Amino acid sequence: MLSQMQRLSAEAEGRYATDEELRFLAEYLSSYELRLQTYQKLQQMEAGLLQKAYEKLVAQEPGMFRSGATDLTTKWKRDTVRILRFSVTALLINDLDSHQEKMLLWFQSIARAVNVQKSCNLTYTALQEIIRPHLTEPQANLFLPILEMNRRTLANL
Amino acid sequence: MPLTLTHDTASKRANPQKHNHYGLRDFFQFDASRGSIVDWNDSQNILVTEDFIIGLIQGLQEEVGDASGATMYTIGCEWGQRDAFFFEKWFEKEFGRPARQSNLLFLLETWWWPFTAQGWGRWEVDMGDRKQGFMFINLFDSAVARTLGDIGNPLCHLYAGLFAGFFTEMVKKQLSCIEIQCYSMGETYCKFLIGGQERIDASPSGSTRALQPATLKNGCARGIPK
Repeated sequence: MLSQMQRLSAEAEGRYATDEELRFLAEYLSSYELRLQTYQKLQQMEAGLLQKAYEKLVAQEPGMFRSGATDLTTKWKRDTVRILRFSVTALLINDLDSHQEKMLLWFQSIARAVNVQKSCNLTYTALQEIIRPHLTEPQANLFLPILEMNRRTLANL
Repeated sequence: MPLTLTHDTASKRANPQKHNHYGLRDFFQFDASRGSIVDWNDSQNILVTEDFIIGLIQGLQEEVGDASGATMYTIGCEWGQRDAFFFEKWFEKEFGRPARQSNLLFLLETWWWPFTAQGWGRWEVDMGDRKQGFMFINLFDSAVARTLGDIGNPLCHLYAGLFAGFFTEMVKKQLSCIEIQCYSMGETYCKFLIGGQERIDASPSGSTRALQPATLKNGCARGIPK
């Protein structure tokens, strides 16, 4: 949304925007209530979702949270919460471009450097499965693609 | 009295420890009243056009002829060595631990992110041949090569020098870097080889010859001939 506004402001400089160029604003306004509801629901569910994802991943891939003698649980939780919050913000303001620019591209390079791409793949697959039953179909259609974008970007698929 | 430029935005004050600060408006603070652009690490930046890059390369070519590649390489080395000191300072400030105590690949990604944000291109580090004393860097969107286009010669001497200077300072061993494929030779991205100075010839004649990666891989095992 903000990226689209910036593009519109640059492209339509010195003239009036066309109906076609303004369409995204109407679409955003009509989806705002749904976005806000989904945002608030995910905010309330955050801690529970994270815990469920952790338990699912421990069962699925027991070694995922250890690297030698180091327990990676706290680090995983911190990173996942951070990316989840950026994702939910992207949902609210409908700005996937900013989400990519401000978080995902940076984290992708770090994930590659510290070799946690597989962990990212499993995490964002698990989160989609865990979140889906809690959302209505229209809510899921807005949010799950963002988690899928996280998965594909961070796992470098 | 010298002017001290500081990156001081509401967003940074609210979240000074944020590491993912490479979005345009996060990383750069544009101050129209002072005409300054200061980045997150308090370094002053300037915007230049592609004409500037063309002018720099062609001007140098006219001034020093064949030595222009070596001059750019030397400038890059100096820049890289200075930047290593600068990097160690801001890394420690941001992460609260010395750079040398960090995971190497994490360290390298962290070093390069400001360059990515500044438009020097994205990179990929290949440490597969590290045990042989070599390292490859793939550079996508070299600011120099994409400006001049396909001219049939490797052009990114500045980058080669930058990598050589930075890594020399970081590992405290004299290293050289040579560009082995370049966007300006019709390749899709630029590729650099870094290794000990005694094994890599980064002289102008060495750095302007085109080496094929396959030949090079074989060469790595026995050392690149001077």
